[in-house]
Amino acid sequence: MMLRWWLSTSALLSSLTIVLVLGFLLQSSWPLIQQQGIAFIIGTEWYPFESLFGMLPALIGTIWAVALALLIALPCGVAAAILCSELLPKSLRGSVRFGMELMAGVPSVVYGLLGMWLLLPLLESQLNLLTGRTLLAAGLLLALMILPTIMVLSEDAIRAVRQSQREAAKNLGIGWDATLWRVLLPQAWPGIRVATLLATGRAMGETVAVMLVVGSIDRIPEPFYNFLQPAQTLTSRIGREMAEASVGSLHWAALLFCGLMLAVVAMGIALLSDRRRTVI
Amino acid sequence: MTADCKYEGFPAVESASPIESVESDGKQLSALLTVDKLSLVLGGKEILQRVDFSLAKAGVTSVIGPSGAGKSSLLRCLNGLETCWSGTVAVDGKDIRQWRGGWDQLRRYVGLIAQKPVVFNASIRANVCFGIHGWRQRRRADELVEQSLRQAALWDEVKDRLDASATTLSMGQQQRLCIARAIAIKPKVLLLDEPTASLDPRSKQLIEQSMLQLAKDIPLLCVTHDLEQAQRLKGRTVFMCDGRVIEQADCDQLFKQPQCIETREFLRWSVCDCD
Amino acid sequence: MSLLPTQHRDALSKGMVLLFALPALLIPTTVLCYIFWQAMPVLSLSFVFGSADGAGFGVTEGVFPQLVGSLLLAVMACLIAIPFALATALYHRTYATPHQQRLLNTLFTMLQGIPPIVFGLCGLVVLVNLFAWGVSLLSGAVVLAVVVLPLLVLNTLATLERIPLTYSEAGSALGLGKGAIIWRLWLPRCWPQLLTGLLLAMARALSETAPIMFTATVFSGVVWPDSIFSPVTTLQTHIFYLAQEGSDPLVISIAWGSAAVLVLLVASFGLLARLLQKLGAH
Repeated sequence: MMLRWWLSTSALLSSLTIVLVLGFLLQSSWPLIQQQGIAFIIGTEWYPFESLFGMLPALIGTIWAVALALLIALPCGVAAAILCSELLPKSLRGSVRFGMELMAGVPSVVYGLLGMWLLLPLLESQLNLLTGRTLLAAGLLLALMILPTIMVLSEDAIRAVRQSQREAAKNLGIGWDATLWRVLLPQAWPGIRVATLLATGRAMGETVAVMLVVGSIDRIPEPFYNFLQPAQTLTSRIGREMAEASVGSLHWAALLFCGLMLAVVAMGIALLSDRRRTVI
Repeated sequence: MTADCKYEGFPAVESASPIESVESDGKQLSALLTVDKLSLVLGGKEILQRVDFSLAKAGVTSVIGPSGAGKSSLLRCLNGLETCWSGTVAVDGKDIRQWRGGWDQLRRYVGLIAQKPVVFNASIRANVCFGIHGWRQRRRADELVEQSLRQAALWDEVKDRLDASATTLSMGQQQRLCIARAIAIKPKVLLLDEPTASLDPRSKQLIEQSMLQLAKDIPLLCVTHDLEQAQRLKGRTVFMCDGRVIEQADCDQLFKQPQCIETREFLRWSVCDCD
Repeated sequence: MSLLPTQHRDALSKGMVLLFALPALLIPTTVLCYIFWQAMPVLSLSFVFGSADGAGFGVTEGVFPQLVGSLLLAVMACLIAIPFALATALYHRTYATPHQQRLLNTLFTMLQGIPPIVFGLCGLVVLVNLFAWGVSLLSGAVVLAVVVLPLLVLNTLATLERIPLTYSEAGSALGLGKGAIIWRLWLPRCWPQLLTGLLLAMARALSETAPIMFTATVFSGVVWPDSIFSPVTTLQTHIFYLAQEGSDPLVISIAWGSAAVLVLLVASFGLLARLLQKLGAH
């Protein structure tokens, strides 16, 4: 039947996209693996001109930036969600929620602008730094970016807890504080977990904003918890060196390998967040 | 066209030779729809077990029985919404699995009215003509719309608002609309799955009257929970329990002189303990 | 903590929540206000609809070409993605076996998670170099289409899943074939939700910068694209380049102005989508 043929070919084509993308990434980064094995993943030096492609600085930078962002955004986002769904009067709730959803749609390049011209000078003056381009700046900016997502999804999760549960708690004489910690949050926790995973995926994949504020210096922070130094993340590296590397060279293969790592981890996070949603 | 699934345990049955007439109670009736050893297994459970019966060229046949007896599944098998059954079903002498044009064409021959009315998000008029092929024919179908609505006993209530949305009708009116929609494509057999369940008494009366009127031309197979309704509809009555046909006879005879114990028990208590 | 009386515990908890929540609510608001406050000196109708005379180094008053460029890219991306998304969702709902359905769900959830810069990388090699399309509107649109595809697919799937089975069966019982059911039953019923998904996809396509940086736009010299094979200038990349200029106050204002215009553009699509959702709920 014509319809069935047309539908199945189109579906096949679109599902092939992901296979093609992954296959392409793998194939293009293969020359690098062939030449250097996989030791370069934990190498610490990134000097393309000397064919040194240590991934560690960028990896650590990415992990730190995302961790910082989550550390700040998660408590604040969940607290905002609690405030919005439990403490605010109904009239305000709609507008706050609406404002947050608007914020969630702000393009990342605008955040980059904010980071460069608002955040960096602020950091430089307040913390007496030589340059505001640090992991801290990246972390703060990412936190600002993922905050709306966490807040909106957590609020959905908390609101989804049935009213009958709250009333049952009230009837037992349990106060607001205990209801929150023992009834609402445990029930909303799966939804909050999904929100966190989604936010992590987004923070990890954010390119433009991070590129502008992280400093792009391939160096492991010393000591390792010092995020007041410029550093490098995977996305920032790809973004900055994409134009410089010549297609087909080893440098190019290294960049594509960064892309492959990002893609694989991001897919894993996406799958995790989806499975959790269907399990609950 | 063969069945496109594997049914558990039952081998595929080749189409039987056309059945012209069937013997029943000694009388020769020429049957429009015949069912021969119909069995259905769904999810490991036997829903229908070797069901046999036939519908004459006109008249109402009621199917009664306790819940879970497989009555609704029987109807769904007869019009192809359920395809994993074994056995033979012949309409007008032709095996429905070999029907020319496939299941879609069969369903224009064998109409089905579901238990809960499902009206489409369109005007009343559009709903009635929905089954008619071709938008040009649908545009010129005013007479057909009126005729179908009259036969479904709905015309007087909606004749001045044919363009209103069908969702503004009450449940009883919606069910009558579904009947009008089904008969607008002029099926040769009409299957009804508890058409008046949960409707108000007025709608029940109107629908039963329409059914008796329609039954003068085409055979109707009506599943019902309401024993009084089965008696009002007269015609043949089939008693099913646990996926099997226990007894079938003319309405009066079944209700006044049931032959099987299970039938007697069901008619008395409305429950059946057969296993 | 359990030794404190209930009222004090409540007050403490509420205080903690407030402490963490207020920055979460105030800072984004401040940020939004800051953007518009900085953009005010430059924002005017002539800014939005004016165009530059000769594209200099990107520092020009008037962002109309960039606005049009962004919209062109986004619209083209959606146009490319919609047929595939619709076909995939319809296949999932009508012909796919449960195994295939799970597979499709997994594939598109995974696709949704991949960072857009990765698509930009692939696009650079495959479309710009291998297919020799060059840095062009077409390359950028295809890359954006891949970014937007999973959104559209998952949204359409969710919409189709909300149609009750009895609705489709009522159509089947009348003898309607699959094509008729799709065209006369499903689409008339759920086109508002599909449109909402499309608007959200447009908003997403308008806010992506990384994938189009090297596949659709060049550093300078472009005002209007000649054909789909020529590069284009967009608001997103305009802002990006201006951000790296940084010292001239005029440049700064123009950058903020462009940012404000972009935020308004994306927000309007989001708002439209919300409005449509509310209307559809009636």
